[in-house]
Amino acid sequence: MNQVAAPLLTPEQNSLALWALLVLVLPLIAGGLLLLFGKKLTRQGDWLAIAATGLAFFLSLYLFFQVWEKQAVHVTWPWFQLATGNTSIISFTTGVYLDNLAVLMLVIVTFISLLVQVFSVIYMHGEWRYHHYFGYLGIFTFSMLGIVLSDNLLLLFIFWELVGFSSYLLIGFWYEKDAAVLAGKKAFLFNRVGDIGFLFGIFLLYTYFHTFDLILLKNAIASGVNQGNNFLFPAITGQADAITLSYTWLTLAGLGIFCGCVGKSAQFPLQVWLPDAMEGPTPVSSLIHAATMVAAGVYLLSRCFPFFTEDALLVIAIIGGLTALLGALAATAQYDIKKILAFSTISQLGYMVMGMGVGAHDASLLHLVTHAFFKASLFLNAGIVIHAMHHAAHEFSDEHSDVQDIRNMGGFRKILPFTFYAYIPAAAALVGLPLFSGFLSKDAILTGAWGWAGFKSQNGNLLYYVIPVFAFGSVLLTGFYMAKHCFYIFFGESKLYKEPELLRENKTAEASGLLLVPVAILAVLSLAFFFSLNPFNYAGSWVMQGVSWQKLLMEQPGLSGGLLPAITTYLHEASYISLATAILSILLAVVGIWLGWLSYKKAVAAGGLSTITAPTSGFSRLAYRHFYLDAFYEKVIINPFMRLSGGAAAFDKNFIDYSLNTFAKIMVVLAKLIGWVDRWLVDGTVHLLVKVAGVTGKLGRFMQNGKVQSYYIFSLLGLILLFLYILAF
Amino acid sequence: MDYILSSLIFIPLLAVLIILCLPKHFTQGIKLVALLATGLQLILSVWLYTAFDASATVQGYQFVQKLNWISLNLQSLGLLQIQYFIGVDGISLSMVLLTGLISVIGVISSWTISKNIKGYFALYLLLVASVMGCFLALDFFLFYLFFEFMLLPMYFLIGIWGGPRREYAAIKFFIYTLIGSLLILIVMIGLYTSAFDPAATAVRAGLTPASQVVSAEVVAEVQRQVAAGTLTGSSIVHTFSIQDMQQAANFIPDSILNILSEKQLWGYPVRLLAFILLFIGFAIKLPVVPVHTWLPDAHVEAPTPISVLLASLLLKVGGYGLFRIVYPVFPEAAAYYAYFVGIVGVLSIIYGAMCALAMADLKKLIAYSSVSHMGFVLLGLASLTSEGTNGAMYQMFSHGLISAMLFIITGVIYDRSGSRMIDNFRGLAFSMPAFTALVVVAFFASLGLPGFSGFIAELLVLLGAFSSSAVSGMLPRWLAIVATGGLLLGAAYYLWALQRMFFGKHWVHPELKGEPVMTDLTKREYLMLVPLAILVLIFGLFPSLLLNKISPDINYFLQSVLQNR
Repeated sequence: MNQVAAPLLTPEQNSLALWALLVLVLPLIAGGLLLLFGKKLTRQGDWLAIAATGLAFFLSLYLFFQVWEKQAVHVTWPWFQLATGNTSIISFTTGVYLDNLAVLMLVIVTFISLLVQVFSVIYMHGEWRYHHYFGYLGIFTFSMLGIVLSDNLLLLFIFWELVGFSSYLLIGFWYEKDAAVLAGKKAFLFNRVGDIGFLFGIFLLYTYFHTFDLILLKNAIASGVNQGNNFLFPAITGQADAITLSYTWLTLAGLGIFCGCVGKSAQFPLQVWLPDAMEGPTPVSSLIHAATMVAAGVYLLSRCFPFFTEDALLVIAIIGGLTALLGALAATAQYDIKKILAFSTISQLGYMVMGMGVGAHDASLLHLVTHAFFKASLFLNAGIVIHAMHHAAHEFSDEHSDVQDIRNMGGFRKILPFTFYAYIPAAAALVGLPLFSGFLSKDAILTGAWGWAGFKSQNGNLLYYVIPVFAFGSVLLTGFYMAKHCFYIFFGESKLYKEPELLRENKTAEASGLLLVPVAILAVLSLAFFFSLNPFNYAGSWVMQGVSWQKLLMEQPGLSGGLLPAITTYLHEASYISLATAILSILLAVVGIWLGWLSYKKAVAAGGLSTITAPTSGFSRLAYRHFYLDAFYEKVIINPFMRLSGGAAAFDKNFIDYSLNTFAKIMVVLAKLIGWVDRWLVDGTVHLLVKVAGVTGKLGRFMQNGKVQSYYIFSLLGLILLFLYILAF
Repeated sequence: MDYILSSLIFIPLLAVLIILCLPKHFTQGIKLVALLATGLQLILSVWLYTAFDASATVQGYQFVQKLNWISLNLQSLGLLQIQYFIGVDGISLSMVLLTGLISVIGVISSWTISKNIKGYFALYLLLVASVMGCFLALDFFLFYLFFEFMLLPMYFLIGIWGGPRREYAAIKFFIYTLIGSLLILIVMIGLYTSAFDPAATAVRAGLTPASQVVSAEVVAEVQRQVAAGTLTGSSIVHTFSIQDMQQAANFIPDSILNILSEKQLWGYPVRLLAFILLFIGFAIKLPVVPVHTWLPDAHVEAPTPISVLLASLLLKVGGYGLFRIVYPVFPEAAAYYAYFVGIVGVLSIIYGAMCALAMADLKKLIAYSSVSHMGFVLLGLASLTSEGTNGAMYQMFSHGLISAMLFIITGVIYDRSGSRMIDNFRGLAFSMPAFTALVVVAFFASLGLPGFSGFIAELLVLLGAFSSSAVSGMLPRWLAIVATGGLLLGAAYYLWALQRMFFGKHWVHPELKGEPVMTDLTKREYLMLVPLAILVLIFGLFPSLLLNKISPDINYFLQSVLQNR
């Protein structure tokens, strides 16, 4: 019933699919070899990992130029089958799907993975388990590429979980640190919460459509007919019947899939794992927890875009907007260099998710791409700064100061000039200043959000404008925290170390080309020019044109009754206001930077830099503690549940087992009782009879003693007794 | 190879005889005999797996051997007939393969046993033979015989070679299982009085000469005559054949378990009661909450190899009994009670996982995780969908491999330190890196990470349970939704245990006896863990290796249940 009719494939498509498979397995093979034999290889095999990823990158480029704006390749292979009914089978397939989006992601993932691995050669140098590190990165890259290449939801889910697993391994890479292990566990568990929702989305779609195949699903759903509360979808290739599905179930399916995104892309309310994940090595934070893995949720939303009903998209938009705001607010109160970036990542992912929710599909993906580069760059640079701080702390035998606290930094503009010049463009892109990449993508999302709110509020409900307001507010906050961040790190004087000369002369911090090349490349890629020939207008961006939902849906109409048909219109109308939103967002960003500067000046003037304490005043404490979400989970969910589990175990022991044992004891007592009855009553009666018989016998024997005299006496006695008897009666 | 199935049962028994003849101090010889016997068994079961033809299946018992064993003429009550009737289909095939694999692993794990080696291995092989017999028997009486016979060696293996509270645990195990088998016995007798063997009846009634094969028409004719009451009393041949019991037409009219007679006991349909009794009997073995408390005790006290056998094989007999006997013989009751079975399954999943979360003893944690994972078998079975039932069977196989790994892992720690308490260890990854890597594999396989066999099983079960309401109408969706909580809890207790025992700074409780040296794995331990890890991975990546063989027969099973409900 469920067989996928194999489309006719040209040899070229087939070979492209095979190349894609090679891209997929190259990092896995290298990773596996490193994990098993890495210790025996020269340089512990880092060259092998880098060579494999490099090769994968060049193959991805080849695939990119073969596929981008030219064709889509979909190849499936059977995986396993179940017999069902009388003659039919249920097939589970695997397959590769290459379209514009897939090849774009392929290039980004392999490219950033390559850069991060090159960076790690120096950064992780001398690390115990150096080869494990590269091995884990290989497994991660493999899993991430798997998500990108999968042609069906089940396969995607498999790689989705594997990405979570490699993230667990890498966050907890320094497993001697308890915090790292805890963070890894937390990340895995919070992701699993989302994944369970994701699974339900998949199950729901499977229950009605009997397939996991994204392309079949997409085609079926995109050509559905709206019948009031139900949708009527045409029969899927290879199946007999048309499918009826209610609006509610389709919405729930979409929200289920979105749960997966909420977990992996750190959206409210599951975002708490991401700041903790910063316990992992910094290059890992750069690759996994900024550029690629956390963006997988956005990729998923794009892949499933046609499945979302209007209500589902509304929820997505709200969650995204809220996350963007909360992340930015929390970032303003942080002082850990990596935590600021982590909260900023949460906020930016919120932008992307919100972009999907408001229908600005292509803008959201553009932001994914630009964010991948500038955020990776920020993290790698942060790594260099932390390295230098470590070095200095070592140099000055300072074991007490937190080397990741930006209040301990300062003056790095002079100490690490190269890093400074690489950092600023990336930070500018994050804030969204013109000429930098983030400006384009953020502007596109903001415009989309504004247009969406205008469209939705036609019924007079102006509440929809809350979403774009959240988004614009976050622009201001982003400017504020990034400015603070940069001023603390790069300007002023080095707070802890009075001899910056010492730091500058140190050879490890900023000397090696292997550290600098990736950073430089990423810094350059933070310029808007690479993503659109006109750096002031997103409309001409080649990325956005390539990944518009119309192209991904292959020109089919969207879900009728859903948002898609309307999207085109209102986004088109909104493009006229894009200049206004651009100016507004620039203004907000500049105001934010100015406020950041004021806050920095105030802190310097107050001498607050030397007092390293957690914020005490109301709001900043709230933001610093991430709105007590962690405490909430701990107190309201985890602790009670652990108590409940303890209760279950106690119930097992003290009730089920206790009653069993008591029952057994009662049985034993009862058995003893029966034993007593048996011994004294039943047996006793028998013994009594025996005794009586014995006594009687003895009496008889006593009389039959063979003496004539006694016989005479007994006869006489008997006679007397007889007479007495007769006389008496 | 007509005798292949018999040799699977009798090779270990023969080895028991040989071991009994060997002198007591000739320990190497005894071990070698055990290894050879189980090794041969493994080779035969792998051969059986490859030779099993999954395409030619109708009612696909293959390699069938059927001998008359006990025949008693009860005059007007007909003929009592017990057969030595063994055969294999897709459902038993996976269990036979599992038994072959785990038996060898168990022998390797038993290599360090030092107390009364001769007795140990004799009992061990007796146990293996009875488990194998259970999976192959197609005659209910024969099945019951093997089922009971598992108790005896198990009782002594726990009671003599076990830990400090071994006698308590052994008796608890024994009595629990005995109660279960009594329930099974009651239903078995009921079934025996109700069912007849149409083919043998035809011969006895003279419809077909004894020398000829009874044709399908004659069978139908016999069934018709018996139903009409023209063929009664002494000419009827009563049977224990599970195959015959699966057809409603093979029940004598007005007999207690005939579906048409609608007999009632205390106002309750007898067939439903019979289903419940059988279900409880096998549920104790599976085990299912709330009749599971023998399992943690038995596991904690049993020596490592016996724990491995217990978790990997003996629990599966419970699930296998549901597949082989309970569901096919009482399909309408199975459908009637699907909701109840599903709820019990979900209860086991969640309750078992919660108990596991609260355990301080690693072995107990794993024992409770077994309870949780066996709940998936019930849930999949209750869904009565292709995905669910295949998943349930796959879970039995997969859990057999994974739980073997898990119990060997606790054994490794216990052998070195004499303790299994989680809090006694920290940062074992530093002293035992290779071991830790395998622990990570086993834990993640057990918590259902894709790529390992457990994922496929749990995915199929949940998929079946979820789509059940739309396909077979058995289970409501919320059951599947609650059951996925087990996935989250599974991740929680395993990752927590990993964090506490294997990560962090290296530390072993100083008061453990003899200041244990936590050295990494020995070659013998590698020999057990690595093949299991590879198998778990292979069956996770290529489910068709197993599903191609079993799914036609499971489909047959499912369709027959669905048609007769």
